Amino acid sequence: MMQDEDQRLVARVLASRPPEAVPADFVARVNARIDATGGGGWFALADFRTWTLRLAPIAGALVLVGLLWTPASPTTESPATASPAQPSQAQAFTPASASDWQRDVTADALLEAAFDRMGDSGAR
Amino acid sequence: MDPDRALVEAAAGGDRDAFDELVRRHQAAMITLARVLTGGRGDPEDLAQEVFVRAWRSLRTFRGDSAFRTWLHRVAINVVRTSHAKQGRLRRLFHDEPPPDPPSGEEPLDAALARRQAIDRALAALPDDLRVAVTLRDLQGLDYKEIAAALDVPVGTVESRIFRARQKLKPLLAELLGEG
Repeated sequence: MMQDEDQRLVARVLASRPPEAVPADFVARVNARIDATGGGGWFALADFRTWTLRLAPIAGALVLVGLLWTPASPTTESPATASPAQPSQAQAFTPASASDWQRDVTADALLEAAFDRMGDSGAR
Repeated sequence: MDPDRALVEAAAGGDRDAFDELVRRHQAAMITLARVLTGGRGDPEDLAQEVFVRAWRSLRTFRGDSAFRTWLHRVAINVVRTSHAKQGRLRRLFHDEPPPDPPSGEEPLDAALARRQAIDRALAALPDDLRVAVTLRDLQGLDYKEIAAALDVPVGTVESRIFRARQKLKPLLAELLGEG
């Protein structure tokens, strides 16, 4: 009961807040601001936010297509990944050529790599 | 029936005179709302202008599901929140001083201005969600349903926020309550 009365009193005080004084040229200033931004016409077309928002569904659709699309055949492996398995290239491997590319490799590691390769081609 | 409906339809069709009339009808309410919601930070007139600029740009998307006044309040709340966030980012970026408190009321003022500042100070002490709800109800005169629509929350939440806001305001407005 007391609470209801308090609520009403506070509401009455808030409602008694004197109104704001509005500058006489407020409407004119709003209009000037609308005109300065092109009034939503041609100028709005240059707004990147408009474009990004409008293009969002298209971007979403492209992402979906990208996710759902699978290659027609699985044999599209690149030559770079396939080449180490090729016997001709394995034969071309020499400790000398490796040391040209990796000067900081230890002699033991180089020998081990060379013997591994020779073992692999011998097994075939 | 929305009293602004005819004007809104004309303005949506590009009639600037109709839009000017809408601005005149709601300008004081928007300045009040901006002043109270910013709690003394920012320029309320500038924010109120921005509200109408946004309203003009979005008028064609207004479907009339709610009254124009309710929709305009929603636009205003978004404008003030965006401005708050922007100012907060700038302050963090430049390690700026905290925003000034609302006027202390110590300067010599006429009675109306002193009353307005006392109410604004009390409202500024409330948490954001309570301040917005009680401002829309007791200062702007929106009903609970309109407030719920403007804030996109259930009517029960609005009722609870307004109740708690008034409870917190009672000691803060003691001086003015004594007058009544």
